[in-house]
Amino acid sequence: MSVDIGDYVGLSAVMLCIGLAGVLLRRNPLIVLMSIELMFNAANLALVAFSREWVNNAGHIFVFLVVTVAAAEVAIGLAIVVSVFRRAQNVDVDEVASMRG
Amino acid sequence: MTTALHYSPLLPTLWLLPLFGAIALWAFGPQLRRNAGYVGSAVVLVSFACALALFGEATLPGNPVRVPLVSWGPGFDLGLSLDPLSLLWTLVITGVGGLIHIYSIGYMWSDRAIARFFAYLNFFVFSMLTLVLSDNLVGLLVGWGLVGLASYFLIGFWFYKPTAVAAARKAFVINVFGDIGIMFALFALFAQTHSIAFNDIFAKVATFSSGFVLLACIGLFIGCAAKSAQVPLHTWLPDAMEGPTPVSALIHAATMVTAGVYLIARFAPLWSTSPAAQELVGIVGALTMAVGAILAMGQWDIKRILAYSTMSQIGYMIMGVGVGAYQAGVLHFFTHAFFKAQLFLGAGLIIHALHDEQDVRKMGGLYQRMPFAFWAMLLGTLAIIGFPLFSGYYSKDAVIYGVLEHGHPVLYGMAVGAACITAYYMFRMIFIVFFGPYRGDVPDALLAIAPAATAAEPQEHVAHAPDWLMQAPVAVLMVPTVIAGYVSIGGANSPWYRYFGNLFGGADTAPVAAPLIPEFGSTALVLVLVALGIVAAYVRYGAPAAQAAAIDRLRRETLVMPARLRYLLWFDDAIALAIVRPSQALGGGISRFIDPHVIDAGVRDVAWVAGALGLAFRALQSGLVRAYALTIVIGAACFIAYFAYIGVPR
Repeated sequence: MSVDIGDYVGLSAVMLCIGLAGVLLRRNPLIVLMSIELMFNAANLALVAFSREWVNNAGHIFVFLVVTVAAAEVAIGLAIVVSVFRRAQNVDVDEVASMRG
Repeated sequence: MTTALHYSPLLPTLWLLPLFGAIALWAFGPQLRRNAGYVGSAVVLVSFACALALFGEATLPGNPVRVPLVSWGPGFDLGLSLDPLSLLWTLVITGVGGLIHIYSIGYMWSDRAIARFFAYLNFFVFSMLTLVLSDNLVGLLVGWGLVGLASYFLIGFWFYKPTAVAAARKAFVINVFGDIGIMFALFALFAQTHSIAFNDIFAKVATFSSGFVLLACIGLFIGCAAKSAQVPLHTWLPDAMEGPTPVSALIHAATMVTAGVYLIARFAPLWSTSPAAQELVGIVGALTMAVGAILAMGQWDIKRILAYSTMSQIGYMIMGVGVGAYQAGVLHFFTHAFFKAQLFLGAGLIIHALHDEQDVRKMGGLYQRMPFAFWAMLLGTLAIIGFPLFSGYYSKDAVIYGVLEHGHPVLYGMAVGAACITAYYMFRMIFIVFFGPYRGDVPDALLAIAPAATAAEPQEHVAHAPDWLMQAPVAVLMVPTVIAGYVSIGGANSPWYRYFGNLFGGADTAPVAAPLIPEFGSTALVLVLVALGIVAAYVRYGAPAAQAAAIDRLRRETLVMPARLRYLLWFDDAIALAIVRPSQALGGGISRFIDPHVIDAGVRDVAWVAGALGLAFRALQSGLVRAYALTIVIGAACFIAYFAYIGVPR
């Protein structure tokens, strides 16, 4: 049995939806960050799949970029979470709403 | 110009030296202190020497010394030019100016801001040289504005006196009004000739329509009237006497206020083509001459007497150059620079010795106490009233008769009458100041003098200046005060008339109408009237009986002075009524209506719209991170739905 492009894209869509649900439904910022990582990887999977399908290396290069950015994003995101926790003594993203207009 | 450029490095040197002097004195004033006076004087005297060295080159007929400076485009070349007319002004500015600089060292000896004073004086000399040396209208206008600025600085030099500050502001505003007139003339002439150079403008005079010439002349004359204190823009000049006395001598008597005479003489080729403009200038000059003479009769401040006499004498000059008697008008400028500087410096000696007392009612009997000042003032007085063999006799006579020769009998009558009044008020001053009892210790109430509020002067009264510093310049000035007029002896063949050659296009020498009376008859008439004026002054103030009753008499005159003299012929009030109050009302209206209801309202409306928009969009800014995420998801879903529906374009 051969794995074709539809399977890769389907898996990618499933991962994206799981990540999206995590971001929208969970209130723990650590889970939210993990969900975002999941969505990054869904996008990475789609990029690699299309890259292989069309024999175009640009997709691979994009993936490297995304991985790099994701690493930086996690570092900053965790730092923010830690400092917010120190201030507010809780980790509920709905409670951290001081930017309300 | 097809002729080779006649260049000389001395010209920019003499022009820029006073500027460097001003900058140096300004920068190093605190270190130089009193030495600033010597530096400032030396700079101006070196300029004078340069000008003298250029005398031979500048007077070559039709070939002035020229120094191009900057070229901004076709027809827009800035440069310097030294021809006989500007050379004359340069010599007076630096020569008389140098003497007044030396005098100022003594006069300002105990003023702690002496370096600032000399920086301003040097700056004034530079500005005035810019005015007279420019070979184009733009440079002239720049100089014209800068001398107004220098005058503002120097009138307001004692800035802790509120009256001095007010006088400085008044002088500046009126002078700027004149600058605007010149600016419009500059625009009009440039639009017509596409050049700012005098030579190019004069070369095309024949192509102008007569209405255009009149318009340009009126624009220029508004500048002259403001700068040279012509009716009705003269009211700043008497107030300008708030400045230190050397300033009054240099700027408000000898040089700056005669800039209008220079401008008209410089634009002689333009003026000569417009009889209407000549008529206008002649009439305004004659009115100024009469008004100045009348007002001088009722003044008690020694410097104001001299200020009104200056105004009157400039009226003579303007009338002379206005009607076309250019050489006569310029000759009166030349002699006036000496004898009026002499009179002001003599008055300065008195004011200085009496510890800043300027009221002639508190003087008297000073002949015994200050014989040197008396002789200086007497020589100046004899010159200004046109006493035979003194310099003013030649120049004033030339102006008076020139007016008649150019066909203006009414103006001639006014000039003769003003000569009589001049003799009266000048000798009134001499008699009140130098003869009779000394009244300095008489209580003010006995002289009917209202007590004046005087600001405290933060001055350190230190060791007195050597007397020669102030007396030597006055002594030097005595010589030209007497003999300066001799250059014009011999009529058309005199050195004076040969000096100018055909600079004024020969328009001066041709009489327009056959005069009613011959020249010697006119001279005799003037002399008789002058003698009458002296006799009247003697009877009222000089005779022994009048001297004995002097205190009573001054008290009575102060109390019953005619209203027209007390209120200075209502010029200030008329200007206030016609211009100042409407302007204030306009400004008030704008500040009460247009400002809050139009300009501010516009700004307020913009701010209100921004605020309303902010309120409307505020609800979106919930602060809930998950709500933002949902918004993004919905947006993405919309995109996807859109492209799924229409398909991706290929």
